[in-house]
Formats: sequence, C-alpha cells, structure tokens
Amino acid sequence: MRLLLIEDEAKLGEYLRKGLAEESYTVDVATNGIDGLHLAMELDYDLVVLDGMLPGIDGFAVLAALRQSKSTPVLMLTARADVQDRVRGLQSGADDYLIKPFAFSELVARIQVLLRRAQAHPASPEPTVLRQADLELDLIRRKAVRAGVRLDLTAKEFNLLALLLRRQGEVLSRTELASQVWDMNFDSETNVVEVAVRRLRMKVDQPFATPLIHTVRGMGYVLESRAQP
Amino acid sequence: MSAAPAVPHLGRRLSRWMALLSMLGLGAVSLVVFLVFDSTLSARQKEMLDQKQQSLMHVLRDDSTAHRDKSLDHLLSDFLAGHGDYAIRVVDNQGHVLFDSIPADWNSHHTMLRSFAVGITAPQYHQARAATATLVMDLRPDEALLRGLGWTLFAAMVAGSLLLALAGGLLVQRSLQPIESLVSQISLLSARDFARRLDGSGLPQELQPIVTQFNALLDRLADAYRQLEAFNADVAHELNTPLATLISSTEVVLRKPRSVDELRDVLESNLEDLRRIAGMVGDMLFLSRADQGVGAREIGVVSLAAVAQDVVEFYEAVALDADLRLEVVGDAQVQADAPLLRRALSNLLSNATRYALAGSAIRIDIRTRWQHEHAHAVISVTNTGPDIAPEHLRHLFDRFYRADASRHNSERNHGLGLAIVKAIAKMHGGSVFAQSQGGVTTFGLILPVAAVA
Repeated sequence: MRLLLIEDEAKLGEYLRKGLAEESYTVDVATNGIDGLHLAMELDYDLVVLDGMLPGIDGFAVLAALRQSKSTPVLMLTARADVQDRVRGLQSGADDYLIKPFAFSELVARIQVLLRRAQAHPASPEPTVLRQADLELDLIRRKAVRAGVRLDLTAKEFNLLALLLRRQGEVLSRTELASQVWDMNFDSETNVVEVAVRRLRMKVDQPFATPLIHTVRGMGYVLESRAQP
Repeated sequence: MSAAPAVPHLGRRLSRWMALLSMLGLGAVSLVVFLVFDSTLSARQKEMLDQKQQSLMHVLRDDSTAHRDKSLDHLLSDFLAGHGDYAIRVVDNQGHVLFDSIPADWNSHHTMLRSFAVGITAPQYHQARAATATLVMDLRPDEALLRGLGWTLFAAMVAGSLLLALAGGLLVQRSLQPIESLVSQISLLSARDFARRLDGSGLPQELQPIVTQFNALLDRLADAYRQLEAFNADVAHELNTPLATLISSTEVVLRKPRSVDELRDVLESNLEDLRRIAGMVGDMLFLSRADQGVGAREIGVVSLAAVAQDVVEFYEAVALDADLRLEVVGDAQVQADAPLLRRALSNLLSNATRYALAGSAIRIDIRTRWQHEHAHAVISVTNTGPDIAPEHLRHLFDRFYRADASRHNSERNHGLGLAIVKAIAKMHGGSVFAQSQGGVTTFGLILPVAAVA
C-alpha cells in the first residue's frame, strides 16, 4: 500500500512517516502543497494524508485541484475543530478528517477504514462467532464462553469484549472505546472506561490462567494472546 | 498649502457653521431692508413727481395778476428755483420748444419723467395755447442714497458675521472644554489601575450618560481582565505540572544509558502526561469557542430521558464499582445537540459518583417548569454525600475552580468539567444551578423547551 503524506511540519511528518512505514505502508512525504499536488497527480497512491494548513497552496486548494482528475481517498488533518473547517474539507472532497493533536493509533485506524472502503472488497460476511485462544463470543446468541465456562456479562461488557476481539492485536484508546461502545464522542475526565475494562477483566481474565486483555500504558487496551512459547 | 485633515474637527466645524449661518442671517436681513427701502423710495419718488405735476399744472393754469406779468421762462424758472433735481420742457403743438431746462447730461437711466398736456396762458400769448409739458426728475441723489445704504448694510453684514463667528468660535471652544477634560481623564486610565473611573461632576448633562456608560464599560472590562488573568495563571499552573514532569523525567532518563524497559516506561508515562495536556487544551478550545458564541450544531428534538439513559449506561461500571444506584425519573423534550448534552450530563455524573456515599442512589430528575409563560426543562443530578459550603457553591462552575484543595493534583480531573457543563447550557440558551444542604447535593441544567409547532 502506497501512501502520500503532505505535511509541512518536518518533525511531525518524519514521525508519521516512520510510524506508517512500521505499519508496513510505503510512504512518500511532501512538505508543501505544490510538491504534494504534483506527486499526487503524477503517481498513483492508495491514499493521501493531507494537512489543512500548508505553505504555498493550502490543503483545501490541493484537495480541490486533485479532485479535478483523481479520486484517491484523502484523509485531512486539521488543527481546527471548527465545524466550518470540517464542512469545507468534506465539501472539497476529503473522505475523512482528523483533528490535531490526534493519537497515532487513531490515524492508523482511520487509514485502514478508508483503504478498506476504497478497495471495496465484496464484504466478507461478518463472522458470527469471534474467537481468541480459549475465549469464544457468539454474537447472535450473545453468549461468551471461556474454557467452557459461560461468562456472565452485561450488555455493554459484551459489546466491549466484542470490539476488543474484532480488533484483536490492535491497541484501542479509551476515547475510541467510549465512542464505539457507548457512543460518547468526547474525552471525558472520568475513568469510566478504565473501570469498565477492569470489571470486564475480572470476569474474562481473572479466573483463568492466561490474561487476554492487556493495558498499553498511555495508549489504551489490546486483546491478544501472549501465551509463553 | 497643507492638505486639510480628513477627520472633521468638531470645534472648527461648529465655528464655521456659525459664521456661515450668521452671514446668511445678516445677509437676509440686509437684503430685506434694502429691498423695502428701495420700493419705499420708488413709491415716494412717484408721489413727489405727482405733487410736482399738480403744482406745475396749477402754476401754468393760474392766471392771477402775479403771474400775468411774468414770462413763461420767468414763471417756470421761478417754479424750478430751489429744486435742482427737477427740470421741465414745454413743447407746443407745432413743435416749438417753449421752454427747456433739462441739462444735457441727464439721461433716461437716472431720471423719471411725466408728460402731460397743458394750456399755456402766459402773458406773451394772446390766448391759451395747447402744449405738452414734460416734467423730469433726477433720480441720481436717491440712487446715491440707495447705494450708500447698500454698502453700509453689506459692511455691517460682513463685520457682524465676523464678530459672531469669532464670538461663536470662542463659545464653542469653551463648550467643548469638558470634552478635553474627559480626554485628559481618559488618557490617565491604564490597564494597571482598574480602580480609576471618570469623574463626571461638573460636566454638562449631555455628557453624563457617556461618563456613566464608559465607567460601566470599565467595570466590565476590569472584571473580564481579572478573570482572564486568573484564567491565564490557572492554565499556566495546570500545564506546568505535567510539563515539569515531562521535562525532568525525560532529562533524567537521558543522563545515563538505560535499558529498553526503563525507556519504555518513561515514554509511556510521558504519553499519559501528554494526553492530559492535549485533553486540557482541547477542553480550553471548547470553552473558548463557546465563549465566542459558537452555538450547538446538531440541533434536533431530544428526549432528555434517553440522553440520561445513555449516560447512565456509560457509568454503569463505575456505579457498580462504587456500589451506587443510578435512577432516571421523568422526561422532557428539548431542541438540543444530543452529543453535547451527553457530555454535560456525563460531567455531572462524574462529579456525583465521586462524592456519593457508597450504597446510596444518584437520581437524575427531569421535569418541566413554567416560568413567565415559557417552559423550561430542568435536568438535575442529585447525590447523597458531604455538603459543599455555600461560598464554594457559586464558584463551582468557574474554570479551574476546586472546592477541595487536596484534589488539586488529581490525575484526570483538571477542573474544567463543570465549566464545560455551563458552556453547554449557554450554547443552548440555558443555565446551570447547584445546591447542597442536609447531605444532599444537586447540580443541574435548565434548558428552554422548544415551542411545540
């Protein structure tokens, strides 16, 4: 997968390039709108990550020019959360936007979603049973079983566990969990997500030998099997 | 010549106007006087000419002995004696000029004349002869008089307007003196000295409202400035704590070679602090946008009970952990931005769960209240727990205000939660309230209920 990153802040651009390269994307970086537009027009990228404020021509102008001839998916980065800015970005043809400062994991997640959408695979039927190690989640009967033991989960705990299982191996931030499981789209001052995850762990991990839900400090939670070899 | 200033000068403008007006006024008066005098003079000239004509006809017709001895020349010369501004010509029917005293330099522009038929019965004629007499009046003296009057009036007008303009200018300057004193008072004001106000005593009545309003503005500005200063200090303080941790931990870890695990530990801890800073900045941006009057965006009809139920589900784990029951009572429909209301209510519940006594219930009450024909939805969150002192209560919605100093460095809560609740209420045209007594504490929002179509 080949990405173009148009970002004028050298340090941020370099870190993003490095991070995305480690996520096994091929990344080209342009530090201004003119170079960025040129690259985007000349080469075929799977996705463009475009900063809104750029020297020379700004991100909106780049986007407008690009949209004249190409439909490459574009993820806009914007420093402003103003609704006008977001509307402007989406109207000029951006496929998604992310407000600075953002978590890198969130950027990766958004890129994955856009790429998946762009590839327009005939959607493989969503599995009805999710599994990891000895944990099994039946989405239809809403039943959770680990090592043959039925887990007694509340509705939200079930949804939380389903999300962690569906995105297993991926670190999910508290903000993202709050948004996906509870539809609370703001950074709350509360420790609600921590408490919810802790209670879920008490049911899913505590009674069993190997923990599946792990805390990644400063980032969030991940569900994976870290069984000793 | 230097270019005239583009900005009008009030004093000069007033003086100029006064000069112009006095000139116009005096000019008009002078013109009227001149015209009236002129027409009176003309009427009088006609009248004089009439009288002269009558007496001339009388003289010519008179056949008394006194006259009979005199020749026509003599008679008419006598008649004209002492009246230098009259002249007579008599021409008989055959065209013989019998008498002519009209000087050669009299022309028709400066004279008024009257011709009439007369019978001459002077001695040298045996019988009365038909003739035409022309009586001429010299108007030049009158014209000179009129001209003199005209110039006098003009001079009076010019001098009068100059005098009035000068006096007016002085008066205007004196009347504008209070403005200058205001200006010098204002120039003494500074951002350092909030207490100073304008002194309106001795100023004319028209300027009093300006002074009052200006002082009120100063009050508001002083309040805003103080608030801003306190806010800046708070922000700096709040940001300083995590920044200091970040800087020192990073420095310490870089002083010596460290194991990957140690480095990882520091980076993770730094990430936590950075997230905190980003969260705080995000909240402050939210508040500043709300201050700038950015309203709620996704306005729709919202059931408050549904919003409350969503938030209650979010807090389910926390409530179970703290052994609290969450109840939602009542409902009301409002025009609102549901995600914003969820955020506000979440902040209120966050507070309530922190202070509620274990085993107690937190109740979210929703009811409609009528006030002055307007319906308001009141959504309140009540918990049982320690009372909040009244002096803290009214400041709780202020930014960075914390009643409990010991909480100051608590991990998550950076003191903007309730300020955000207040901002969200304001974005919907509503307000907030808080009360606490007898071990029961209630925080809530009052939102206007949408008019039912």
